[in-house]
Amino acid sequence: MVELPNVRLSLANTAENIVVVRAVLSGLAESGGVDASDLSDIRTAVSEACNNVVMHAYEGELGAMDVSIELGDDVMLVIVRDHGVGIGEHAREDGPYADGIGLHVIRTLTREVGFEEPLGGGTHVSMEFAAHGLEALYPRLLAGPDLDLTGMMPRFTAAASIAPVSLARAIIPRLAGTLAARAHFSTDRLSDIQLLADALTAHAARAVCEQHVSFGISVQPRDLELRVAPLRLGQAEGLIRASDLDGLGRVIEKLADRHEILAGESHETLALSMLDQRRR
Amino acid sequence: MTSETTVNRASNPSARPRGADENLGELFARWQQRQDAGAREALVERFMPLTRSLARRYDRSSEPFEDLLQVASLGLLKAIDRFDPARGHSFPSYAVPTILGEMRRYFRDCGWSVHVPRGDQERALRVRDAQETLANEHGHAPTVGQLAQYLELDSEQVLDALQAIQAYESLSLDAPRPGAEEDGTTFGEAMGDEDERYELVELDATVVAALDHIPARERAMLYMRFVKDMTQTEIAAQVGLSQMQISRLLRRSLDQLRALTRDGVDGG
Repeated sequence: MVELPNVRLSLANTAENIVVVRAVLSGLAESGGVDASDLSDIRTAVSEACNNVVMHAYEGELGAMDVSIELGDDVMLVIVRDHGVGIGEHAREDGPYADGIGLHVIRTLTREVGFEEPLGGGTHVSMEFAAHGLEALYPRLLAGPDLDLTGMMPRFTAAASIAPVSLARAIIPRLAGTLAARAHFSTDRLSDIQLLADALTAHAARAVCEQHVSFGISVQPRDLELRVAPLRLGQAEGLIRASDLDGLGRVIEKLADRHEILAGESHETLALSMLDQRRR
Repeated sequence: MTSETTVNRASNPSARPRGADENLGELFARWQQRQDAGAREALVERFMPLTRSLARRYDRSSEPFEDLLQVASLGLLKAIDRFDPARGHSFPSYAVPTILGEMRRYFRDCGWSVHVPRGDQERALRVRDAQETLANEHGHAPTVGQLAQYLELDSEQVLDALQAIQAYESLSLDAPRPGAEEDGTTFGEAMGDEDERYELVELDATVVAALDHIPARERAMLYMRFVKDMTQTEIAAQVGLSQMQISRLLRRSLDQLRALTRDGVDGG
């Protein structure tokens, strides 16, 4: 058994994805009531760590950028991971990274920072931040096999695994909105996507079969697909039914352009498509 | 001696980092031991790009960039005064915390928590107004990218503003809107007519208790979006509100409905 982080976010190491990481941090901090200047420090330092993955970890190639977030009493722990060249290059004062000022910024804004070079390669930067106002409302949960979200890349533009499920509401609408903006959705349809994400996250707890819920989002111009898993068999349909608000119909069905249920042996996945057709 | 260092650097560019360090040590000695203002000026010039880049990290706040740069520069001057080259650390490793410390202290002193939301709100109002202008021009809602270009912001700032519109009650329904001055119409007044038009008689067959708890104007918006399948922009035009306010009200009333429905289920 392994202890799950509250949030694990998997992205490619592109500069535009740093904005996604910041959106998730802001969503968590704002819903948790974190002090605004603490949030600013967290956003700044984590951006620097991510920027290092973007600029240096894969020596110009595309690779995975993983961000784990753990929430505690007045404290937030953020770990930025890559699988690229090791830490030696990054952490040395006279290394290529030292010319930038990222490392100094991280050291200044964190309570504690650790650099680790795991056996399989890559770098883990663990940053502990003051997060005044945050309460440890979200217990750490145990799961069986470790979630390998990186295996979901590059199928998704972004994947997030969240435990407990109730925390998804703070993250997924914001994450989806950020990616919809990138995919040239109008503000009108972008808001619909957030309404859809609200509906999904509101009802997900009843439908999932694990302690965590995973969302995968892929975007192309004016086209966004959102997948949610692992759902108990039959519960993808149940999730849609649960969004039925009296007199208004099934909100999920009304907001999405298409939906598809992908059934596996032990669980199923609900895939929802949203388009921006500029229909009028 | 100084000129010799300069000549070395010029004639042997490959030795630049080492030459630059030696030159730095010399500059610090000249300023700290002999109060040579020219040396301090050279140090400021050398590290201004670093200072500017640190100031830019806080450029999302409501403070004008020039003010931020001024505060950061003050931090740089303090670092130049206090740095001790004999300790063997690089100057940036000393200067970055000093400069950031100066900026954080500045924000704390002038009330970060007061300033940032106000800046956010002003920006949110600009984004809201631009959204309406562009929607009127194009006949459909703009993208975040188009708003960013129009307002000379970046997309992230526009997204943050959209988020702020969801968060701040103070962007209230009665806030002045562009064009509203002529007829003095506020949302409350505009919705008066809509209440009549969208009298929820049509929903009687399916309506249950939960929807009754939602104010009539929000009920009308929910009806337009989910039963009539109107876009948020169309609803906005119909009721004389911005699409972003429609977005906020839809979001809030759906949350309320879900809470009411859940309570009903749990209670039963």
